[in-house]
Amino acid sequence: MIKANLQLDAKGLACPMPIVKTKKAITDLEEGQVLEVQATDKGSKADLAAWASSVGHQYLGTVEEGDVFYHYIRKGSSEPEVEKTFEHTVSLNEIESRDGLILDVREEAEYAFGHIEGAKSIPLGELESRLEELNKEQEIYVVCRTGKRSDMAAQILAKNGFTKVYNVLPGMTEWNGKLTKEV
Amino acid sequence: MSNKVAIIAANGGLFDAYKVFNIATAAAASEKEVQIFFTFDGLNLIHKQAMHALEMPAGKEHLTEGFEKANVPTIPQLVEMAQELGVKFIACQMTMDVMGLTKEDFVDGIEVGGAVTFLEYAKDASPTLTF
Repeated sequence: MIKANLQLDAKGLACPMPIVKTKKAITDLEEGQVLEVQATDKGSKADLAAWASSVGHQYLGTVEEGDVFYHYIRKGSSEPEVEKTFEHTVSLNEIESRDGLILDVREEAEYAFGHIEGAKSIPLGELESRLEELNKEQEIYVVCRTGKRSDMAAQILAKNGFTKVYNVLPGMTEWNGKLTKEV
Repeated sequence: MSNKVAIIAANGGLFDAYKVFNIATAAAASEKEVQIFFTFDGLNLIHKQAMHALEMPAGKEHLTEGFEKANVPTIPQLVEMAQELGVKFIACQMTMDVMGLTKEDFVDGIEVGGAVTFLEYAKDASPTLTF
């Protein structure tokens, strides 16, 4: 089961209803949150992916169980790109050759649809309450989709006494290596 | 890229209605501005009575069951949803005059206009579709 902030039941509905319902449901979410759309319309997979890209949301992927499709969409941000301020950075193509922990701070659903092998998942929103899962003696490479959330996560870690922290840039959007999936 | 979709609905059968309203609601749900210009038989699609009894093309009546099985929304439902999503309906004045219809014969919230009204809107729309 993939974690989502909101579930939408669009089962049994024909085109264009899954899209219309999804549009309404996503307004109830905050930016960065994940919507699960349950649908039986076979066209919904292609439609939702196209819809998400046209209106600026992030289509994460689809899981099929029997006749039901579970689609996952992360609500896009309308905020302008903020400057990344954490000064210790490492480039994406270097991290595989380094020792230490890769910490993936994207939402669980994003992680489930593809992450770097061995990476640990702690979504940014849960980081402060899960610090005890991390080792201060270990090098920690923080990664997200574009480098924005990992920048904030690295700052949270530094504030809490972690010194061997690096923000991985650019982020998973540019990752060409192997992807491990948990779906 | 244009954020406007312009649709001409010129035919009045059930299939025509689905083509028009499915594309219109899908476009509106994708945050496009949508206007539909209803002309000639296309006026059936928003006529208070006619929209409840649109005809299947001759020889396709057996598809009634398929529509029910696929759980396709009814045309009045799609009309309501389209309006809720902000799709604007324009009824063609000239056709209304020819057919002896008034604004009261149609669903609430429509506008009445002539060809130029639509052309003005459609001049920078992409795509413009005709059904």
